[in-house]
Amino acid sequence: MAHFAKINEENKVLTVNVVANKDNMNAEGVEDESVGQAFLEKNSSWPGHLWIQTSYNTMFNKHASGDDSKAFRGNYAGVGFEWDSENQIFWPAKPYPSWVKDTSDANWHSPIGDAPALTAEQSSQISAGTNGWIYIWNEENQTWDLNDYGPA
Amino acid sequence: MQKKVLTEQALYYGDVTMPKDWEIDRVYLSNKILYSDLKNEKFKTCKTWDKLNRYIQEHINLYYETALVNTDTWGNIYKPLENTDSLLNVDPVDLRNSPDFTLLYGVNVSDCSVKISYDDNRRKGRSWTIPLTNNKFVMFPSTNSYSIINNQKESLNFILTVTYEYI
Repeated sequence: MAHFAKINEENKVLTVNVVANKDNMNAEGVEDESVGQAFLEKNSSWPGHLWIQTSYNTMFNKHASGDDSKAFRGNYAGVGFEWDSENQIFWPAKPYPSWVKDTSDANWHSPIGDAPALTAEQSSQISAGTNGWIYIWNEENQTWDLNDYGPA
Repeated sequence: MQKKVLTEQALYYGDVTMPKDWEIDRVYLSNKILYSDLKNEKFKTCKTWDKLNRYIQEHINLYYETALVNTDTWGNIYKPLENTDSLLNVDPVDLRNSPDFTLLYGVNVSDCSVKISYDDNRRKGRSWTIPLTNNKFVMFPSTNSYSIINNQKESLNFILTVTYEYI
């Protein structure tokens, strides 16, 4: 099966449709996005160039098989994702206004990087169910704040 | 101090901005409405209707996270200066099988507006009027009554009504 994201002219993903492999192959039996686009254009009343193939097995530029060379277009598209034709990436919604895109992992990151790792003690407390430590981004202060959601 | 909104009367409106060369064929829809009117038959859905319906469903879901399911569709033709009585698309004694939203689409209209009635708590009987032009839609809760005001002097106005449930 092949998956295609239907986008509008603002490059927002409206929905994702499934196309049978045979409807996405050229005469030589090779997967060909333009064939799938033509199929969808004919059957969905939406122009073919606004159907973009997406990979069900790709997330943050990694492939579920473990072979990241198979990663395709950054992320599996979802409703509300934005298609970036220049970088060939489906971007999820921006989590916070200050966050910036990173094309290497097709993900958004805070301007000061990812949250710090939890200490070994904090991790063991989570495992024991006594605490629920988690870093939450504080957009106002531009910091990662450590929160404790208490016992599990 | 906190605030909780228990319900809202949301109105959605705008143009149906389809991709270039993929616009809604409003002449075809006018013909379909005329045909169903002349034959006294139910409006039959078609590919053109499907384009409109999908546009509404997908964009309402994208921007407002509301999933709509179509429940009924019909077309109306209004003579010059014809104003409707108050219209209501829910059955007060069968709310379970009544639609959540009513959508009006301007198929071929001129000098037309929709007057939507609502209550603002104890301030009863208020209304909001919006012009309905070609290729424009207005969608509102089906529990709100409305009337259609046609001020055109020569032509007929063609309006498509689509009702939806949300899930």
